[in-house]
Amino acid sequence: MKYMLPLFLILMITVLPLHAADLTARQIMERVDDRDDGDNGVSDMVMTLIDKNKNKRARKIRSYTKDKGEDKQRIMFFVMPADVKDTGFLTYDYDEYSKDDDQWLYLPALGKSKRIASSDKSGSFMGSDFNYSDMTSKNLDAYDFRILDEKEVRKEKVWVIEAIPKAKEEIEETGYTKSVLFVRQDNYMVVRGVHWVNEGGRIKYMDSPKIELIDGIWVATKRTMTTKKNKKILHKTELNFYNVKFNQPLEQEVFSLRRLEKGL
Amino acid sequence: MIIRFRQKIENGFGRFAHLIYRNHWKVLFLVLILVAGFASQLPKLTMDTSTEGFLHPDDPAMIAYDSFRNQFGRDGVLVVAVTAPDVFDLSFLTKLKQLHEELRTNVPYLDDITSLINARNTRGEESTLVVEDLLEHWPEDAHALAAVKQRAMNNPFYQNLLLSEDGTTTVIVIKTDVYSSIGIDKEEVMDGFDDEAFESDATEGQRKFITDEENNELVIATHQIAERFNGLDFKVRIGGGPEVMYMLKQTMQTNMKRFIRLALATIAIALFIMFQRISGVILPLLVVILSLLSTLSVMAMAGIAFKLPTQILPSFLMAVGVGASVHVLAIFFSHLQKGSSKEESIAYAMSHSGLAIVMTSLTTAAGLASFAGAEVAPISDLGILASSGVLLSLLFTIVLLPALLSVIPLKAKSGDNAEKRHLRMDKIVIGIANFSTSRHKLILAVSGIIVVIGLLGVAQVRFSHEPYKWMPESMSVRQAGDFLDQKMGGASMVEVVVDTGKENGLYEPHIIKGLEHLKYEIEQINDGPLTIGKTLSVADIIKETNRALNENQDAFYTVPENRDLIAQEFLLFENSGSDDLEDFVDSQFSKARFTIKMPWTDSIYLDKLSVDLKKRFHQQLGNDVEITVTGINALLGRTMAATIFSMTQSYLIAVIVITIMMIILLGGLRIGLISMIPNLTPIILTVGVMGWLNLPMDLFTILIGSIAIGLAVDDTIHFMHNFRRYHLETGDVADAVRRTLLTSGRAMLVTSIVLCIGFFIYMFSILTNLFNFGLLTGFAIAMALLADFFLAPALMMQFYKQGKPAVEE
Repeated sequence: MKYMLPLFLILMITVLPLHAADLTARQIMERVDDRDDGDNGVSDMVMTLIDKNKNKRARKIRSYTKDKGEDKQRIMFFVMPADVKDTGFLTYDYDEYSKDDDQWLYLPALGKSKRIASSDKSGSFMGSDFNYSDMTSKNLDAYDFRILDEKEVRKEKVWVIEAIPKAKEEIEETGYTKSVLFVRQDNYMVVRGVHWVNEGGRIKYMDSPKIELIDGIWVATKRTMTTKKNKKILHKTELNFYNVKFNQPLEQEVFSLRRLEKGL
Repeated sequence: MIIRFRQKIENGFGRFAHLIYRNHWKVLFLVLILVAGFASQLPKLTMDTSTEGFLHPDDPAMIAYDSFRNQFGRDGVLVVAVTAPDVFDLSFLTKLKQLHEELRTNVPYLDDITSLINARNTRGEESTLVVEDLLEHWPEDAHALAAVKQRAMNNPFYQNLLLSEDGTTTVIVIKTDVYSSIGIDKEEVMDGFDDEAFESDATEGQRKFITDEENNELVIATHQIAERFNGLDFKVRIGGGPEVMYMLKQTMQTNMKRFIRLALATIAIALFIMFQRISGVILPLLVVILSLLSTLSVMAMAGIAFKLPTQILPSFLMAVGVGASVHVLAIFFSHLQKGSSKEESIAYAMSHSGLAIVMTSLTTAAGLASFAGAEVAPISDLGILASSGVLLSLLFTIVLLPALLSVIPLKAKSGDNAEKRHLRMDKIVIGIANFSTSRHKLILAVSGIIVVIGLLGVAQVRFSHEPYKWMPESMSVRQAGDFLDQKMGGASMVEVVVDTGKENGLYEPHIIKGLEHLKYEIEQINDGPLTIGKTLSVADIIKETNRALNENQDAFYTVPENRDLIAQEFLLFENSGSDDLEDFVDSQFSKARFTIKMPWTDSIYLDKLSVDLKKRFHQQLGNDVEITVTGINALLGRTMAATIFSMTQSYLIAVIVITIMMIILLGGLRIGLISMIPNLTPIILTVGVMGWLNLPMDLFTILIGSIAIGLAVDDTIHFMHNFRRYHLETGDVADAVRRTLLTSGRAMLVTSIVLCIGFFIYMFSILTNLFNFGLLTGFAIAMALLADFFLAPALMMQFYKQGKPAVEE
C-alpha cells in the first residue's frame, strides 16, 4: 500500500508524456520509424502502371518478408505476366545506413542469379513511380523535420511534417530535394506524402487510399504514387495488396539464393 | 467602245480627285479614323518563328510530329560541348561536374540533363551486375581514373554522343521541356491529390508546346553559365537545334529590322534626289507605312501569326507602295511645273494614272491571291496578306495622297535648275524611246538570246534549304555547329517511330534484332552531302544489358533469341534505369524510337532520306509495323518538298490569272498575251541568274517571285495602258512610245532607281539569304524596267507593223 502512491506517480510520469500534442517532429518520425510493420509476412501484390494516356500494365508479385534483428529481408517472385514469371528479387535491407543494401535478381530465361550493385536508391522500383528510397527506411539524422500543420486525411487526424535533407548526399541518394509527409496521429503511419524530385521539375504524390488492421498490424492494402509535372500527370502506379498475412512459418532458408533460383 | 469606257473611268478619277480636293479635311479625318481603327488591333499580333509554323496544324506530317512529341518529348536537344587536352583528367572532370550541376539547377524548362557525370554505366563484374552513373564513385586515384576512362572510351553508347572518338571532347546533353509552362501556377500541395487531374487531361485538349520565348530564356541561361566556365583548357561550345533556332531567329530579326530601316532611309534619300522636295519623300513613305500598318492589323484581326516568310511583307509593301505613289507624284509635279494649279495637277495626275494604278493593284493582288491555296501555311498567309496589303496601299494612294497634296502648300519649283533637270531626264527618256523603236528588231533578237541564256540558267537552279548556312561561318553558332558536325557526328536529329501495334510488341526478338541491323545499315550511309553520325535505339540498351548479365563478355553484346529473356531484361532495366528507357519506348512496349543523329544537312535531302528510311525499316521489320519518320528536320524536309510543289503551282496559277487580267485590261487577246512577255522576262532572267550563280532556291528566295511579279506587272501595265491611249490618238507607234516614256516612263524610272537602291542595300547583311534577297530583288526590278523600256516598245513596233494598226475592240 505504501508503494501505491510512488507507483502511481511513476505511472503518471511515464504515461503522461505520451500525449500526442507535445511531440516534436523528430519524435514523431522516430515513432514512424519504430512502428511495427509486421514480421514473417506473406502477401500478393498487384502493381498497375498507368501512363499519361491511361494505358495500363499489370504485374502480380508474391512477396515474403522476414526481419533479422534490425535488418529486413524480402524475397519476391513475379507471378504474372507470363513472360516474366518466376523472375525473382532478393533484398537484404540493412538497418545500418552506411551499409549498402544487398540485392540479387534471378532471370529464369537467363538461368542464373546476379547480385545487383546499385548504390543509390533514387532508381525506380520495377519501373514504377516508387523508387527504392520509398520502400526503405530513412536515416533520420540526415533530415531536418518540422511540423507544418495538422489536417485530416479521410477523416483521420494527421500531422503534416516537412522533411528536408541536410546534405547533398542524401538528395543524391533518394532523388528528393524535399518531402512533406502526412502522418496519422493514431498509428504513426505515413498515409500521404509529397516529394519534390531533384531533376526535371517533377513532384510525386504518395497516397494510401486503403488501410487495414491485419493480424494486429496496420497495413496499407492500397497505395498509389503519382508523378506529376506542371499539374499534368506523367505516370501513376497503384499497388494493391491481397492475402496479407503475418507471423507465417517462414524459414531463413526462404531468403537465400538457392530459393531465389527455384522460382515460385 | 472600250476607248470610251476607259475615258469615262479616267474622267471619273479626275472628278473623284476634284471631290477630294474640295473636301480634303473631311477625307483626312476619315482616313485618320480608319487608320486608328486598324492600329488598335495591332497589339493582338503574335509572332511564330518555329519550323512547325510552316505546316498547317492538320497536315499529317504535323500531326505525326505532335504525336511524337507527346510520347517522347522534345526531339531537339541543346548540346554543351567541352574540349580539353584530356577529358579524363581529375581537375577537368571536377570542373565538368560543376558545370553540369550549374546547368541542372539554373537552366529553366529543363527536363533532363546527361553528361559523363551521370551517364548510365551498366556492366557485369563477375557475378555482379553493376548499374550506376559513370562517375557515381568519384575516382580517387590514377588507377580509378584509368578504369573510368577505359569504361567510357569503350562504351559504344557514349561514342559520338557524350564523348568524341579521340577523347578530347565531351558533351552535356540538355533535354528541355516539351510543353509550355506558361499559365501554370504552382500546385497547391493538397490539391495534388485530386485525381480529377487525370480526367481533365482528356477534356483539356492539346497542351501547348514550349514557346519561342521559353526557348530563348533557356538558351540565354545556358550561354550565361557556359561563358563563366569557358577557359583555355576548358573550351565550351553550344550547339543543337534549340541553339541554332535561337541564333537564327535573333540574327534574322535584328538584320531585318536594321535593313528595313536602312532601306527606308535610302529610299527616302533617293526620293529626295529624284523629286528635290520633302513632300516627294514623305508622301510615298507615308503611304507605305500606313499600308504596312493596316496589313499588320489585318493579320492581327485574322489571328494570323507573323512568321518567317511573312517577314518579306514589309519589303514587298514598300516596293508596291512606292511604285504607285511615285507614279501619281511624278505626274503631279510635272504638271505643277508646267504652270497648272495644284487642284488641276492633282486631277490630271489622278485621271492619268488612277486607272493604271487600280489595274496594277488588282493584277498584283489577283496574282498573289493565288498563293492562298499553298500547302505551306506561311505562304498561303502571305498570299492573303500581300493581296490585302496591295489593295490597302491602293486605297491610301488614291484617297490619302490627293487629300494630303491638297493640304500641303506646294509650288512649282522656280529657277533654272529644276528646268534643267527636267529637260535632262526628258532627253534620256526620249533617247531610249527612239532607240527602242528604231532598233526594234535588234532588241528583239538580243532579248531572245538573253531569254534563252536565262532559261538555261533556270534549268540549273537547285532547290535547297539550309537556314543554318544563312549565318556566316564567323558566327559562334556556326563554329560550334561545324565543330560538332566534324567531331561528334552532328547535332541534328531525324526520328523514326516503329509501332508494332500491340502491347509488348517490342519483346519480339526479330524486332529488336531488326533495329540492331538497321543501326549498322544506316550508320553506313555516306552519300556525299548526306552522312549519318550515329543512331540510338532500344536495341543498344538490350545489348548492353545482355552483355552485363554475362560477365561483360563482348560476345554477349547481342540481342537474345529468347523472347522471355528480352522481356526479363527489359524488366531488369526498368528496375534500375527506367528514366532512360522512356526515351526509347512507350510504356506499353509497343512503340520504339530510333534516333538518327547527323550533321546539319540541306533539307532537300531529308525528304528523300525519309522515303528511303521507311523502305529500309519495312524491309527489316516487315509490313505489320507502322513506320513514321518525324522530328523537326524531317518536317523541314517535308515542308521543303511541299513548298516547292505548291509554289510552282501557285506561280503557274498566278501567271494564268495575270494573263487573263492583262487581256481584259488591255482589251485584246493578242496584246494581252504579248504583254506577258515583258512581264515574264524579268522573272525568267532573275531565276536564270540564280541558276548561273548557283544561288539556292530556298524557302526564302522563293518568295522573291512575289515581289518580282508585283513590280514587273506594274511596269508593264503602266507602259501598255499609256501606250494604248497615245497610240489610239495618233496611230504612230514611235510617237506613242515616246509620249508614254515621257510620262509614265519617268515615274517608272524613278520608282525603279529608288527601289533598286533600297533593295541592293540588303547586300550589306552578313546573312547570305538577305544578301541574295537584296541582289535578286534589285536585279528583278532593274530587269522589269529594262523590259518595259526596251522590250515592250520593240514588241509594239513589231506587233503593229504586222498588219492592221487598228485596235481590237
